[in-house]
Amino acid sequence: MEERRKKIEFDALVIGAGIAGGETALNIANNGYKVLLVEKDHSIGGKMILLSKVFPTLDCAACITTPKVSEIARHPNITVFTESEVTSIVKKTESLFIAKITKNPRYVHVEDCTACQLCEKACPVSVRDEYQFGLVGRKAAYIPFSIANPKAAVIDLEQCTLCGACERVCPTHCIDFTMETECFELQVKTVVLATGFQLFDPLKIPRFGYGKYKNVVTSMQMEREIAPTRPYHTILRPGDGKIPDQIAYVLCTGSRDDSVGNPVCSQVCCMYSMKQAQLLMGALPMADITIYYIDIRSFGKGFEEFYQQAKDMGVNFVKGKIGKISEKENGNLILRYEDIQEGIVKEAEHDMVVLSVGMLSNQSVHQIFDGEMLQFDSLNFIWQSDLLGSPAKTNIDGVFVAGTASGPMDIPDSILSAGSASSEAISYLIQH
Amino acid sequence: MKKNLGVYICHCGGNISDYVDVEKVRQAIEHEEGVVLAKTTMFACSDSNQKEMVEDIHQYQLDGVIVASCSPKLHLVTFRNVTETAGLNKYTYVHANIREQASWAHSDDKEGATEKAIRLVRAAISKSRYAEALYPNKFEAEKAIAVIGAGMAGMKAALSIAEKNMSVVLIEKENTVGGHVAEWGSLFMTNEKGSELVQRIHNDLLQHENISILTGTEVVSSKGSIGNFTLTLQKKHQPVDNLRETMEINVGSVVIATGFDHYIPQRGEFSYLNNENVISLPDFKKLTDQSTGKTLLYNGKEIHDIAYIYCVGSRQSEGENKYCSRFCCISTIHTAIETKKKFKGIRNFHLHRGIRTYGKQELLYDEALQNGDIFIQFHDDFPPEVSFKNKKTSLKVKDLLFSDKELLLDADLVVLVTGMLPRIDQSIGQLFKLPKGRDNFYNEIHMKLRPVETVIDGITLAGTCQGPKNISESVNSALSAATKAFSSISNGLVETEPIVAEINGNSCVWCGECLKACPFEAIEQKEIDGKIIAVVNKSVCKGCGMCAPVCVPNAIDLIGYSDKEIFSMIDALVQ
Amino acid sequence: MTSFVKKNAKILVFSTEKISDPAIDMAGLLKLHYPPTVYTITVPCSSGIKPNWILHAFEKGFDGVFIAADGTDCVFGESCTEKTGKVVAMTHEKMKQNNLDPARLRMAALCSVCSDAFVRQVRSLNEYLIKTRYSEK
Repeated sequence: MEERRKKIEFDALVIGAGIAGGETALNIANNGYKVLLVEKDHSIGGKMILLSKVFPTLDCAACITTPKVSEIARHPNITVFTESEVTSIVKKTESLFIAKITKNPRYVHVEDCTACQLCEKACPVSVRDEYQFGLVGRKAAYIPFSIANPKAAVIDLEQCTLCGACERVCPTHCIDFTMETECFELQVKTVVLATGFQLFDPLKIPRFGYGKYKNVVTSMQMEREIAPTRPYHTILRPGDGKIPDQIAYVLCTGSRDDSVGNPVCSQVCCMYSMKQAQLLMGALPMADITIYYIDIRSFGKGFEEFYQQAKDMGVNFVKGKIGKISEKENGNLILRYEDIQEGIVKEAEHDMVVLSVGMLSNQSVHQIFDGEMLQFDSLNFIWQSDLLGSPAKTNIDGVFVAGTASGPMDIPDSILSAGSASSEAISYLIQH
Repeated sequence: MKKNLGVYICHCGGNISDYVDVEKVRQAIEHEEGVVLAKTTMFACSDSNQKEMVEDIHQYQLDGVIVASCSPKLHLVTFRNVTETAGLNKYTYVHANIREQASWAHSDDKEGATEKAIRLVRAAISKSRYAEALYPNKFEAEKAIAVIGAGMAGMKAALSIAEKNMSVVLIEKENTVGGHVAEWGSLFMTNEKGSELVQRIHNDLLQHENISILTGTEVVSSKGSIGNFTLTLQKKHQPVDNLRETMEINVGSVVIATGFDHYIPQRGEFSYLNNENVISLPDFKKLTDQSTGKTLLYNGKEIHDIAYIYCVGSRQSEGENKYCSRFCCISTIHTAIETKKKFKGIRNFHLHRGIRTYGKQELLYDEALQNGDIFIQFHDDFPPEVSFKNKKTSLKVKDLLFSDKELLLDADLVVLVTGMLPRIDQSIGQLFKLPKGRDNFYNEIHMKLRPVETVIDGITLAGTCQGPKNISESVNSALSAATKAFSSISNGLVETEPIVAEINGNSCVWCGECLKACPFEAIEQKEIDGKIIAVVNKSVCKGCGMCAPVCVPNAIDLIGYSDKEIFSMIDALVQ
Repeated sequence: MTSFVKKNAKILVFSTEKISDPAIDMAGLLKLHYPPTVYTITVPCSSGIKPNWILHAFEKGFDGVFIAADGTDCVFGESCTEKTGKVVAMTHEKMKQNNLDPARLRMAALCSVCSDAFVRQVRSLNEYLIKTRYSEK
């Protein structure tokens, strides 16, 4: 394997092609530097491309992300590696990093695929669709989602039965089961880490019943239900397909909670929950939406005004901590909560519960540095070595951090953080 | 006149198609003269549709393209680039705004919205028939950047530009650099002192030969545009002599980093100025920073019990300060923790409206709680009352978390947690004509797509002049602004829109009215073939069109806005 | 008695790319509704609007014209307000000559976030035009 590593050379390596990594790559590339953008997923655009609309302007997320990803994909100075992982990085000199990259096979030649979906129709295997957060199924030969980039099929070999149906129907013969893992050795002068965050898994709080009660969903699942590229054409509760009219939001699910090991605030859940509440009120005019919160943190530009707007629209805000959720026979849910304002324990019935899950660190880059090691903070986010003076700097000179890899933040802050990281990287390239 | 037009009508994933019947729009316009292709699309801006457009342009030999989607402020450039990729002149592209100005504006009237969308698309088609190929004006840009304001954001922006080997002029009205941060003691999260942080960055600045730091200097006028701004700078009054020096500098781009003002409570607001024991957060920070004894003394009196009243001047239901100032919760909690560490016998009482220690700041909130600080949340509509009797300051507050039970509490000192205001001195904003948001801070073009750029090309925003931020957020914004400014002029060339005025020499009779109307001295008198006429200097003309209505023989058209184009659009709208 | 449907007036708005058009966009974003018979043509600066465009609009059947002027925020300089005022005065003069009610042309300066003001202005012009149209008939 080692001998077969293809040697490649770029000016900058950006790991993670979400909104922060993409913005960073564009900024660096626009200054004439060659950038390699490495993404482990099948599409670039990160989590933002899967969102419905974004606060506080209610712009549609796709309207902002799709042109950006398009610009990234077409940029003459940017090379995108999807389904790829950086397995090691060693700093050799001030201006030389050696990185090893593994590019996994997609079993489809992207340049020939027209995304006609015939393979999808032909494939007999149905599995859980991770891009719709399990709300619906997908095939083993599939287009990740309708606005994915590259928009091309993928063969999920783990689920595939090798029946060959997809290969037979493909009009451009772009499906290729002989594709192999490719290995690269990259020489690069600077590295930007934009590896993003992970969503809290609510299975870790069994008393909320996620996974057990079908009408308890995560905020990301609700996000998909109201997105333009949504799986159903309306909002349904998964248990029985009923249109819900008593929806509850449980804020701080997995945030500000020492018992699950995450004592900090995720910064976005208050706002996205209020956003979803506003969108739901538009889609389901008869629905009552209740948000159970500890504190409402609407701190950004236009956020407080957005909070007032949600209140004016009739969203019901209850300062209360949820103790336990239980299910009734009809699928409705009983929330037992401490009404913090009145200091008593109460119960309320809802027909759908949305858990507003928080942001945790993504630890995928924790082990990749050899030699000079990358440092992390107590929550395993990448440590910002000069938080106030140069927030994009890590402890390794020439390695920078962009977006939520250094801590929870919203989209505008992620983009500014990416601007900051790219600025540092460009300066580093000019000076070395 | 264009003959092969392609029209794309966007669903915008429901944003348009939920209110506008896009298929009906398509059918209504597909037989318009010149239209050879009319399609609806889920997301016009998606990569797959962009590719399809390029293919269509080749396949149908389109010579004009119209997309009816969101506001041109979002995607005019996107679609211009698509047509350019396909080999068309990008200025022949015409955009119709059927989201902000049809589906959303008339979501209460689907038929009306659809009818309006049809007419807007027809008008765009009409305009497209006449749209001419244009070529941007290219000219040399001054390879230097001015940064106005030398607080943290301005200093970091300047440093980041200098690190990229470009000249920077850092202009500061005050006599010292560092802004508000220089006044602060220990800072939250890192515990570095504000003055030390400023000193550290200042030292970095001094390492760079290509930075000129001009303190005690104001910008008094600005001429020109992206690539070539001429700023007139004036030294402020010197105490010794009364001479005013002025100088001019030429730069290609300007970064605005003018910062914020602290909210100053009004006399009587929570007894401020009426009771000497009521002070603002910045004053309290100064007091604790400068006190050296083991006990905190204020006006010679020992301080033990401190009450902090949050959201003073922020999150107000009336007036302009509806916004949250973002930094004050954490700043207060951090100060409370530090005060308790530094002085004996401190008890902190936080009277708040919901603590907003977002992100990792939460760890400090936890620390304050563990320290035994008391947090009392009051109702938005029932702020605490401060009274002064028998030389004692007391507060009356209804505790929201105790069924609005009324609490009485004595305090040695009351700290008003004051927020951020947009600069009261708006002279820089007026000078550059910067638009302001609803909160009166300067406004970016788009919070997510172009967060540091303004509608004025070549002017970017850094730090808190755009809205409340903490230090690291300000620095991120400053570096983003610096990069945008740098990238726009780094190759020494700028392109500007080819939209300029055009004079028809046959009709012109040289009366001089256009010369009088032009604010940019772009009109010159010239003799051509024995006739004296007016001509436009294209490199100076900014394309405002002020000369056009005053022309008596109607000899002037603004390119892209000629009579025939406007008339055809009017006809299409009313037809 | 015949009851007749109160039909909205056709109004042409001239907005400006950098200042007033963003305000009109924001009115849409905030779903501040106004009559869908209000159409916008965007120009760089309100002081570049020609009187003959406005007369053409009336001639072709628009009931009213509203100029959403830049005001003092104009990126092309402070003279914009005065010059836009002159355009309106010139047009009013020509309207009188053509027996058109000058009140069918209105102007107001709109800042880039003046969405409420825009909606108020066009609604009020619409009301006026409906009232005068019906009283004429």
